[in-house]
Amino acid sequence: MAEEIRIVQPKEYYKRFLEKDVRPDNRELAEFRPVVLNIGCVTTAEGSALIKIGNTTVICGVKAELAKPDADQPKDGFIVPNVELPPLCSSNFRPGPPGEQAQVLSQTMADVIADSQCLLSESLCICPGKLVWVLHIDLVCLDYDGNVMDACMVALVSALRNTVLPKVTVDEETGDIQTDPTTRVPLQVTCCPVATTFIVFDNKLLLVDPTREEESMATGAVTIVTEGDNLCSIYKPGGTPLTENQIDNCIERAFTHGREVCRLIEDTLLSVDR
Amino acid sequence: MAGMELLSDQGYRLDGRKPNELRRILFKKGIFKQADGSAYLEQGNTKVLAAVYGPHEIRGSKSRARHDKVLINCQYSMATFSTQDRKRRPRGDRKSLEMTTHLKQTFDAVILTELYPKSQIDIYVEVLQSDGGNYCASVNAATLALIDAGIPMKDYVIACSGSYIKDTPVVDINNLEESSGGNEVIMAVLPRCEQIVFLEMNSRLHEDHLSPVMDQIMAGCRDIFAVLNQKVQEELCQKAALDKLVDSG
Amino acid sequence: MAAFTVVKKEDLEAQQKEESVQSLRCITSELGPLTQPDGSAVFTQGDTTALAAVYGPADVKISKELIDRATVEVIYKPKVGLPRPVDRKLERIIKNTLEAAIMALNHPRSLISIVIQETESLGANLACCVNAACMALLDAAVSMNFMVAAVSAAVTDKGEIILDPVSRVEDEARAVLTFVFDSVDKNIVTVITSGQFSQDEYKKCLYLTKQACDNVFSFYKDSLSKKLLKSA
Repeated sequence: MAEEIRIVQPKEYYKRFLEKDVRPDNRELAEFRPVVLNIGCVTTAEGSALIKIGNTTVICGVKAELAKPDADQPKDGFIVPNVELPPLCSSNFRPGPPGEQAQVLSQTMADVIADSQCLLSESLCICPGKLVWVLHIDLVCLDYDGNVMDACMVALVSALRNTVLPKVTVDEETGDIQTDPTTRVPLQVTCCPVATTFIVFDNKLLLVDPTREEESMATGAVTIVTEGDNLCSIYKPGGTPLTENQIDNCIERAFTHGREVCRLIEDTLLSVDR
Repeated sequence: MAGMELLSDQGYRLDGRKPNELRRILFKKGIFKQADGSAYLEQGNTKVLAAVYGPHEIRGSKSRARHDKVLINCQYSMATFSTQDRKRRPRGDRKSLEMTTHLKQTFDAVILTELYPKSQIDIYVEVLQSDGGNYCASVNAATLALIDAGIPMKDYVIACSGSYIKDTPVVDINNLEESSGGNEVIMAVLPRCEQIVFLEMNSRLHEDHLSPVMDQIMAGCRDIFAVLNQKVQEELCQKAALDKLVDSG
Repeated sequence: MAAFTVVKKEDLEAQQKEESVQSLRCITSELGPLTQPDGSAVFTQGDTTALAAVYGPADVKISKELIDRATVEVIYKPKVGLPRPVDRKLERIIKNTLEAAIMALNHPRSLISIVIQETESLGANLACCVNAACMALLDAAVSMNFMVAAVSAAVTDKGEIILDPVSRVEDEARAVLTFVFDSVDKNIVTVITSGQFSQDEYKKCLYLTKQACDNVFSFYKDSLSKKLLKSA
């Protein structure tokens, strides 16, 4: 019977749970789903990571290529994040060109890299004006069960931390490019931005780390990106208006969560031997 | 290339396998919650995901609906980081489109399509890491995903590749052996009735050599089938026992 | 307590000067510049200008139809070229903001379409677009839960906060924060940020922008009543 109510009147179904301060998947309102992180799982990529937040699964692969820099910014390499939401991950997505959500996510990833300065484009320079690295950061969602933003962010940072590039030198006189595959240089990733997403249920309750079902019923969402003790981004695109206190509360929780995720990434990186 | 012997004098291949030896196969069914059926399969270093949605109502143009059988919609896609050189487009290039059609044709032949008229079954395949035998791994993974989704089929479809190197038929070739310019035979078979659903051959092979290669591949398919079937049946038995326990209270 | 306090002229000027750093740029607007849409507005904030047009509630394509409320659609047109991913993100932000403001439940199975044309982007572009869209909605007399007012603030390298920054300040700033408030409880409808900042700086920006949003709301009121008086 419960399952029928869940499908026919999802909101009522949820309300009955939330009255008792618990969610249908046995979580409390402020409880995160279990996170599984696997770093360096794709050997064809320069760096990779797979993350599972509950059922949500995102895989990230970093591929590097050489290119000539733009004339007006001769020292800047290129960082190109791209988020894919293929029809494989949920029946809500159709085959074809990337949808609006995927485009917005890709843009958000690019914004966060720029805002947090976790990877400077200057650090990808090999020879100013002649040769720079292009980092293609491809994120593919494999199972869409809500909160893809947070998952993408962890996958992105972990994969960047995992990335090693071969040493490349340019001969000053002949302009020849020499690659030394034996020496491998890790990327200079300076910090670890972490996103925490909350949704607003029924215009009043704040739920953290929403599932797909919860997202579809949400009346608003806030994503807070923290980096150590600094804020990198507060992203609340419309939805139910929130009071200052509610947002402050979210920020506090985001800081705690940020530290936990950072520790998880560090621990996992340590266990990966290279 | 000198120094790169695809088959050593002692009869071992580059990765240390014997000619008739398969790569290690690992798989897991039912890994995703959203899809109706899903599977992850590793064949050596080739890693493939498959997800199945359906049977459901026809999406998009209704004109594609067939009144006598189900429409099978496939999409083959390779992650941009799956190959040594970055792929520009994960799907939509000629190779992926060819692969998509091959998958569709293969599964059209084995799914009991007449059971679900006017509906659609989606099969999505994503290659996460590629080391040769992408088609084979995709077919095997999709078969497992279809089993997980509970879609009726005539039999398993098992695909395996093979080649003819130095007068020896070899089975389940990897990327190095594929790209060295030798011939390549790919087969998808129904292992229990020993029927061939799909057969493809690239580059030159002497007529006399075709049948030993095919025999070798057929043997490889039977081996893969044994590996998959054993685990699938085990899981099924466990599930059945569990359900029985639940039913009896 | 003295009944009268003498205010020196210099003090007053200094106060005004200080205020000018911490107040909005000059706001002007024109309601209904376009004849074809149901409502339209040009909103200018300093040199930043946006034009918004509202069509609706009108017929909606079956594929986009929502059975319990109106479909809100926002189309953002950049000054030159086709919309880039950045513009798509902006579009999405504005759409979600306006969806909260519009009483969509009053018009089920219909479409409210808002087209925003970027005319001049010289700082606080997002804020200007949101304000223009809100005025256009008022002009079209679409029923709304509340009005929205957007204000931007920039945090400089030294930690100074500059309200309603021009594009030069935005480029040099460490962070730029844009807030959208509702007119009823002055709660936060939207926050969009770029760059790094501390929690303290966030609070300061919030405080300043919240005060400044009152100016925008009273501006809405004035221009609307002017227009209504004229038509009466």
